[in-house]
Amino acid sequence: MPSRFSATSTSRRRFVQGAGAAALLSSPFAALAAVDAGEEVTFADGPRPLVAYPGKRPMIRVSTRPPHLETPFSVFNEGAITPNDAFFVRYHLANIPTSVDPGTYRVNIRGSVRTPLSLSLGELKKLAASVEVVAVNQCSGNSRGFSSPRVFGAQLANGAMGNARWVGVPLKAVLEKAGVSADAKQVVFDGLDSPVLPGTPDFRKALDIEHALSGEPMLAWSMNGQELPMLNGYPIKLIVPGFFGTYWVKHVSDIEVIDHAFSGHDAFFMTTAYRVPDNDCLCVAPGTAAAKTRPISTLPVRSFITSLASGAVVRSGHTVELKGIAFDGGSGIKTVDVSIDGGLTWRHAALGQDLGRFSFREWRLPVRFAHKGAAVLLVKASARNGEQQPLEASWNPAGYRRNVVESTPVTVA
Amino acid sequence: MKTLLRFAMGATCALTTFCSVAAPREIKLPPETVLLRRSELPGAAIAAQKCAICHSADYVSYQPPGLTLAQWTAEVSKMQHAYGAPLTEGEVKEIGAYLAVAYGSAKENDAGVVAASRAPATAGAVQTRTAVADASGAIDVKALLNANSCLPCHAIDRKVVGPAYHDVAAKYAGDAQAVTKLVENIRKGGVGRWGPVTMPPVTGLTDAEAKALAEFVLKQ
Repeated sequence: MPSRFSATSTSRRRFVQGAGAAALLSSPFAALAAVDAGEEVTFADGPRPLVAYPGKRPMIRVSTRPPHLETPFSVFNEGAITPNDAFFVRYHLANIPTSVDPGTYRVNIRGSVRTPLSLSLGELKKLAASVEVVAVNQCSGNSRGFSSPRVFGAQLANGAMGNARWVGVPLKAVLEKAGVSADAKQVVFDGLDSPVLPGTPDFRKALDIEHALSGEPMLAWSMNGQELPMLNGYPIKLIVPGFFGTYWVKHVSDIEVIDHAFSGHDAFFMTTAYRVPDNDCLCVAPGTAAAKTRPISTLPVRSFITSLASGAVVRSGHTVELKGIAFDGGSGIKTVDVSIDGGLTWRHAALGQDLGRFSFREWRLPVRFAHKGAAVLLVKASARNGEQQPLEASWNPAGYRRNVVESTPVTVA
Repeated sequence: MKTLLRFAMGATCALTTFCSVAAPREIKLPPETVLLRRSELPGAAIAAQKCAICHSADYVSYQPPGLTLAQWTAEVSKMQHAYGAPLTEGEVKEIGAYLAVAYGSAKENDAGVVAASRAPATAGAVQTRTAVADASGAIDVKALLNANSCLPCHAIDRKVVGPAYHDVAAKYAGDAQAVTKLVENIRKGGVGRWGPVTMPPVTGLTDAEAKALAEFVLKQ
């Protein structure tokens, strides 16, 4: 066993390998039995190491090139806002910008517009009154490593998400300045990152014109009161509150309004990748393919316990304050319910400060464990639009959009 | 220190509305440390050379364990068809077989692995040789560059993923050992001489071909 393993993860392993594993196989939480949850997640090839990247504290390495870094889960217990130096990083293509000159940077707006624009950073910032939103950026594949059966792709635990205060100008204001044509259908966004090979599709994303003009998407230059970290899209990032991170294009340099649905070689990340089964549950029977798909879009409701990791030891007869976060795609969190007896009984948690409907919402609940032995903690959020987290994980071929009720096994001593 | 200073200047900028004079922001990425698992299967050398054009080896090593030959081969096929990886059909099968053995559920003597690994490897090597030498035996460097997928990462006069051949030639100008050093670098690959991105080893070159490539680069 690698020396890197702490006592905590050893006990975690014992839990998943011991009698608990057999019991879990028939339960909704079977997927959890396959891996160690928590910071030293082992999905394959040993625990994923922490690595240092520019502007970042040590982060979990998902891949070195293109850089893909996951936030250590303990960060989410520090507060509702994810610090810039701990915010996850995800690129698709290896030609990423390592040098950006803000003096010569331009954002071009072109296509089906009356007046094409080429804006300097100064011009963009002065174009309209700046706006602010606190919003969750979550990777479509966050928690993919827990898919059962397992699927190809970045093997992420739960740390490919973050919540930040974004400041910028509404995309709407920029598009209106250029004058969108009546026949506009979609808006395509491209950033400075590009493929290594000419045969590889560029990373470009499209929003429907109604969404682009809704006032919600934003071109942001500030994250938690600072410039964007280079690896999170300096100097301009597209913020799409309530939508998965795949739409949050980094280093935005080109905005094209088009009069048709985005298609062709460089539409790959809309037309082939980042798609979910096109049915009510956005899911298929495990291991099967989807007959029809559609682009992934909004965040389903999720919640986590952040104050205790899987395998933690808690004392019986003492009050323990459980703490965590919840979020959804923008209706806001209505309730968070917690069970400390594997789902037999549930109690409402107290919700923390409301930072906006797109933000993490903190929750707290003091609990007392009466009996010694193994216990499973569950947390379940409901959104204001009526959506609830499912007790059983659904499955889709790419391992996207996981939002099952999380379970945290602990030992009461 | 330089980086720190730039970062500090950048941070100040964010607080002011007007920010006309700011130094370029730069970062340096850390080196790659994960290597593909060793194997005698022919797909191992091809994977080391071609997969590394676009991504580091940890893309492979962090995939779920226990995936089958069919699954791994389909994944490599996706790299070819969806992402434009410069692979022949035979190479897709060879890499798939290597990955399924090294990282998945397949065994080296499985019929599927043997079938995928044997014939195309020999055929590929022969094709490469005949393609790069004309009747007189002179080596066609352009064909060599293409056959070994050098040009996705290198250009003559500008940095792409790896350094410009111009810059390599300038670095070794006046070095009597330049050809020997370059032959070694081409064959073994490496990291750190030009930045954090690993150059994969270019395997399967004859002595004459490696020398021809080195001499070509040094003339730029």
